[in-house]
Amino acid sequence: MDTILEIRDLSVHYYADRETVQAVNGLNLSLTRGATLGLVGETGAGKTTTALSILKMIQEPQGRIVSGRILFEGRDVLTMDRAEIVELRGKEVSMIFQDPMTSLNPLLTVGEQIAETVRKHDRVSKAEAASRARAMLETVGIPGGRAEDYPHQFSGGMKQRVVIAIALACSPKLLLADEPTTALDVTIQAQVLEMMRSLKEKFVTSTILITHDLGIVAEMCDQVATMYAGEVVEYGTVKDVFDTPKHPYTLGLFESLPSLDEDRDRLRPITGLMPDPTRLPPGCPFHPRCPRAMEICSRLSPEPVRLNGHLVKCHLYGKKEG
Amino acid sequence: MTATSNGNDRPLLEVRDLRKYFHTPQGALHAVDGVSFHIRRGKTLGMVGESGCGKSTAGRAILRLHEPTSGTVFFDGVDVTAASRTRMHGLRSEMQMIFQDPYASLNPRKTVAGIIGEPLLIYGRVKDTDDYEAQVRELMKTVGLADRLYDAYPHELDGGRRQRIGVARALALNPRFIVCDEPVSALDVSIQAQILNLLGDLQDRFGLTYLFITHDLSVVKHISDDICVMYLGQLVEKAPAKTLFQEQVHPYTKALLSAIPIPRVGARKKRIVLQGEISSPVNPRPGCRFAPRCPLARDFCRITDPPLTEYAPGRLAACHRMDEILQGKIHIQEARG
Repeated sequence: MDTILEIRDLSVHYYADRETVQAVNGLNLSLTRGATLGLVGETGAGKTTTALSILKMIQEPQGRIVSGRILFEGRDVLTMDRAEIVELRGKEVSMIFQDPMTSLNPLLTVGEQIAETVRKHDRVSKAEAASRARAMLETVGIPGGRAEDYPHQFSGGMKQRVVIAIALACSPKLLLADEPTTALDVTIQAQVLEMMRSLKEKFVTSTILITHDLGIVAEMCDQVATMYAGEVVEYGTVKDVFDTPKHPYTLGLFESLPSLDEDRDRLRPITGLMPDPTRLPPGCPFHPRCPRAMEICSRLSPEPVRLNGHLVKCHLYGKKEG
Repeated sequence: MTATSNGNDRPLLEVRDLRKYFHTPQGALHAVDGVSFHIRRGKTLGMVGESGCGKSTAGRAILRLHEPTSGTVFFDGVDVTAASRTRMHGLRSEMQMIFQDPYASLNPRKTVAGIIGEPLLIYGRVKDTDDYEAQVRELMKTVGLADRLYDAYPHELDGGRRQRIGVARALALNPRFIVCDEPVSALDVSIQAQILNLLGDLQDRFGLTYLFITHDLSVVKHISDDICVMYLGQLVEKAPAKTLFQEQVHPYTKALLSAIPIPRVGARKKRIVLQGEISSPVNPRPGCRFAPRCPLARDFCRITDPPLTEYAPGRLAACHRMDEILQGKIHIQEARG
């Protein structure tokens, strides 16, 4: 299979007050061309930092990619110079941010903002860029005539459509969508997801979808990676991981969700809290909260094990080979 | 909807035709526009709806944190809306609120103990310093906050623990009724589950009655006995929680429930994708508020407001075409299989 993106052993740290926040720790991940990968995990798991690293957008000096390689179509993003990176961003890889309220420029019309991206990467006249901007708006379900309107004249769902139009304006090969519907109401979320699905068929974009909503993953994604404390702890096809989750953390996530199809008197939350990223526990970072932790878990970080098609980083499966 | 005169059968809270309008330069914003419901003693009424539907305003108007424009609220037979300032002070100790954002709703300059103990001081419920400390520590224990956090400040704590402080403060005066306004929306799922379990345990232990406001439909199903659905300031449907998830009468409820993504492979249901967005609550046009987006709307839907009608015991809906829907004569077209 054709791999569009491969991340190897990525580590990203942030520095504050003589403390080091270990946001991403030795992360490995690959994405098949044309596929949608869901990146799930709770606040602070390192999902957004991973996405920002792919665009080399970690702010220095507070943050730094300390090790690893990010191969986009075989080229290492991390060794690219400034000109190459600028060409990559928006043209080949683009990103949709979580909050549509703050990711648009309030002083430019939405048409200007889409045209800006077009003109950045394609040598076209202003008039041509403006007409492409209108066409792009139509693609995301907004009448082209609204290109002259400013962001404040749009509702939240409409703003997110504009953000998506900007992201797709240059037909990128890889789209990084960071919680694209989290700020939206559920009926509006349904509209945006429906639209993203049809755009995906049209543009054949490979996508990394960051979300904390496992329901969205089940609907939108082919593959899924669960992140915990800056590592991918489980990775596989959505079918494998959702039907037979193996890592105790993934299991815990499913258990803590209130269910719509069955009645539970009590939820079964994961006990304890996310570890402090400046003081990660030794061994497996999940062991202090893990109901099945063993003696070895506090000493040794588990190696990823392949189990019928999916990868699990857990000592429970250490000796078995799938 | 008739309540018997027997004291214990009487609903703890009864809301009649509650309205709250805000003045805006464009005209009156009808945040809550004629809402009536009751909550049975020791039960939870879930109130769901999307941003701007007026659910938080309704919760606040019930406690008179917003002064209602009109309508009445009865708390255990007492008319809250007519209560004097002094009377209201007394009532507030029985009617409390847990707020959405545990980051913004706690005073950053007070310690955990200071926040939890404040209502006790305001209401003079402490004998001396020892009694104060004992009561605060007991409340901390009740909500699962470690004793060592007594002198900690909110910024030192994570969201889940902060929300426990909010719960402890709401419990301090032994209230009978608590408005929970999106109490778990700002929390991660594993922490959310801890707080939902805590609220359930407290209800069992103290016989609390909750109005649970949320936009999260799986949360509301889990915690509620009855659920009401709001759209643009009005109630469109109310039913027992389980019933509502099995069968919806109002087209909006149907669309709303069909929009929830289910975390199971192959679970994707037939979905009703609504066109358009919620219209403006400023000077709303007469007629059903949902009509502009409703696939079943007819001209007559846009003339008068549909009344909230009880079509089966405990099940109410406000839709002009309810009879046709109930008889199975009309259905909403679903988008995909």
